[in-house]
Amino acid sequence: MRLELRDIRHVYSPGTPFELEALRGVSLAAEPGEVLGIVGGTGSGKSTLIQHMNLLLEPASGNVLVDGVDAATLKKSELRRKVGLVFQFPEAALFAPTVAEDVAFAPRRLSLDEDEIEDRVRDSLSLVRAEHLRERSPFALSGGEQRRVAIAGVLAMGPEVLVLDEPASGLDPAAREDLLRLIRTLKQTGASVVLVSHDTDEVAEVADRICVLERGEVRAIGTPSKVLYENLEFAPATVQTVAALGESDQSIGRPVRFEETLRTLRSLVEG
Amino acid sequence: MNRSLGQFYPVVSPLHALDPRAKILATAALVFGLFLVDSAAGLALVTGTVVALVVASRVPPVTFLQLLRPVAFIVALTVLFQVLFSREGEMLFAWGILEIHDGGVRLGLFLGLRILLLVSAAALLTATTAPLALADGLEDLLSPLKKLRFPAHEVAMMMTIALRFIPTLSEETQKITKAQAARGADFAEGGPLARVRATVPILIPLTVGAFRRADDLAEAMESRGYQGGEGRTRYRELRFRPRDAIALTVTALILAGAALL
Repeated sequence: MRLELRDIRHVYSPGTPFELEALRGVSLAAEPGEVLGIVGGTGSGKSTLIQHMNLLLEPASGNVLVDGVDAATLKKSELRRKVGLVFQFPEAALFAPTVAEDVAFAPRRLSLDEDEIEDRVRDSLSLVRAEHLRERSPFALSGGEQRRVAIAGVLAMGPEVLVLDEPASGLDPAAREDLLRLIRTLKQTGASVVLVSHDTDEVAEVADRICVLERGEVRAIGTPSKVLYENLEFAPATVQTVAALGESDQSIGRPVRFEETLRTLRSLVEG
Repeated sequence: MNRSLGQFYPVVSPLHALDPRAKILATAALVFGLFLVDSAAGLALVTGTVVALVVASRVPPVTFLQLLRPVAFIVALTVLFQVLFSREGEMLFAWGILEIHDGGVRLGLFLGLRILLLVSAAALLTATTAPLALADGLEDLLSPLKKLRFPAHEVAMMMTIALRFIPTLSEETQKITKAQAARGADFAEGGPLARVRATVPILIPLTVGAFRRADDLAEAMESRGYQGGEGRTRYRELRFRPRDAIALTVTALILAGAALL
């Protein structure tokens, strides 16, 4: 599924002294099967932007298109099933007595039969490697486990686009690796993933394209090597190092992922 | 922005500058004094005073009226009931079983005005007094009760914390509501029972979060050496100045005058 935002503007508290134009005409699209990274500082409009993707917020002007169809004409429930939105700290919305019941919350809203619901719970828990937690209380889990269970709760809707807002914040490195693995797995199943993060290492590692948001506008969008090397303040330290070394030597190229940059740096040291 | 009753309106005005204890006492005097006022002239005097105070508070009149909106329905209902069902005084109008008497009209208007004045006085107090100052003032006024083992400081601290966390919890509610909406929850669909059930996925995480916050706060307070009111000093000392005494005296005199009219 292709999710496109076309010239989205959003204004908070219009007509009051607190009026704030959070998005000033943002256009971008998440292509089927791609991981689109969105980076930007605090107040750049990242969180406002993603809430337009399933129309939790409605734009002051502009359109959201789902495979070319205006999302405003779709049923809200249908749109929210197709575009799964995982907020920052999603574990704050866990509520059911057991993990399995919490994950079943979304599929139950879709009026599926019990077998189908059970399949979805099992599949989404296994995607986040949390099958063994299914009968536990979500409130008795560790922070990392809660995060995975909460993500499973959105995966259970079977979204075609998964939007993740700062999914790794507050997680330890191992849990972060798990999360990146999950994003790659989802991509293989043909789903698109929109990854919002201020951790540029994370975005550089998995994104097919990166969008830089600044004060409610798209400052840059394109391949990671192009966007990161042209907006170095949003690039990981390894990329910044290669860029600094490469200023005098254009033959180095523009590696982005950690493994690639490491190889480049190693060849520089050795050669 | 949505303004609600009890909201602080931060501007500079003579009323804002008064000592919170003076304002609390004056408001209390007004609330009790209003029950003693039962003449039209007396009510007019109190109304005039409240209007003058609103002007002095520099809260824009439109904003002030917005603060009163939550009670508009109760006032309207009170007036309507008195006018329709009270059979005091001369009959002014009859239509079938409906009778309107002049005593009822008078009673309805008086009661409605009294409620409006009560709420206005309370709204003036909270609009011109920062929540922390209000809690400090209340603590001081209640402190004589400490001799009777009444935990004045603790009560004031609880009030402060409650006020402090209202915006936090309301933000949290919004976040959780959105998160559940993203999982397909629908809060507007179905009958009353379905709607009540739909709030469970919001209320449970909200409660869990509130307990977690309370725990964190208690730990933070303890790690900073909080041990209750005993021996505790304040960064901002309250000072009862001559102008506070004057304000209180004038309020008392006006009320006495209104009660006698």
